[in-house]
Amino acid sequence: MKLTSIFNLLPSKIVYAHCDIPCGIYDPHQAQVAAHTIIRMTQMIGELNYDDNIESKRAFASQMARLTHVKEEHGHLVEDELGTLQNDYFKEEHFAKFTNLKELLEKATKLSVKTRQNIDMESAKELLETVMQIAEIFYKSKGLSPFRTKSPYPTEGEIVLHK
Amino acid sequence: MAPTFSEMDSVLVSSIPLLFDKPKKGEVVVFEKYNRLYIKRIKKIKDGKYFLAGDNKKDSLDSRRFGSVKRSQIKGKVLFKL
Repeated sequence: MKLTSIFNLLPSKIVYAHCDIPCGIYDPHQAQVAAHTIIRMTQMIGELNYDDNIESKRAFASQMARLTHVKEEHGHLVEDELGTLQNDYFKEEHFAKFTNLKELLEKATKLSVKTRQNIDMESAKELLETVMQIAEIFYKSKGLSPFRTKSPYPTEGEIVLHK
Repeated sequence: MAPTFSEMDSVLVSSIPLLFDKPKKGEVVVFEKYNRLYIKRIKKIKDGKYFLAGDNKKDSLDSRRFGSVKRSQIKGKVLFKL
């Protein structure tokens, strides 16, 4: 019996090397929106209050859990979106041309982890700033002209768009 | 996964090595995402998240979005091509 015949007896499944569609769609927009969401959740957590009765304390605990959950989720989203750009989109020539790109990506991940672990507005704002700098590099790498504009979100921070 | 693996190749995958050791950077693994099994190489491990990429990197526009996967989504290590 040949060795391959033995392997044929093993259970087999089909595995794929790619997503269903080779979309080529990359965009730093979602990471920026997620960074704004982290700032907003941090703001809302800071505004939470409770009175000295059990109902109020329960409502406080419930709302705190919800806000923290969303903050955590969007921290992961920033990390995933930037991870996709870093691993799937940015190539050696991008890192050579934009010499601070690697440092910015590492910094953003560290800041995102920090904002998930703490209630830290300073880090949340620094995270948005770092993500915006990455967005500017991304658009430049596409031959587009990025610009900063006031976001329409309650955070009142900026967002990077392109011409 | 070209040039390492091509379409219709058969590979032997085992979950046994993962019982003894965590998946490492550079290893080719099979993982589950979007209710399908995929084969990719581990490019980076950060904060318990595994970032995976194919070997065919000549055209970034032809890469696919995967983001990160958790340890629990990695089902086995690719041992060799049959």
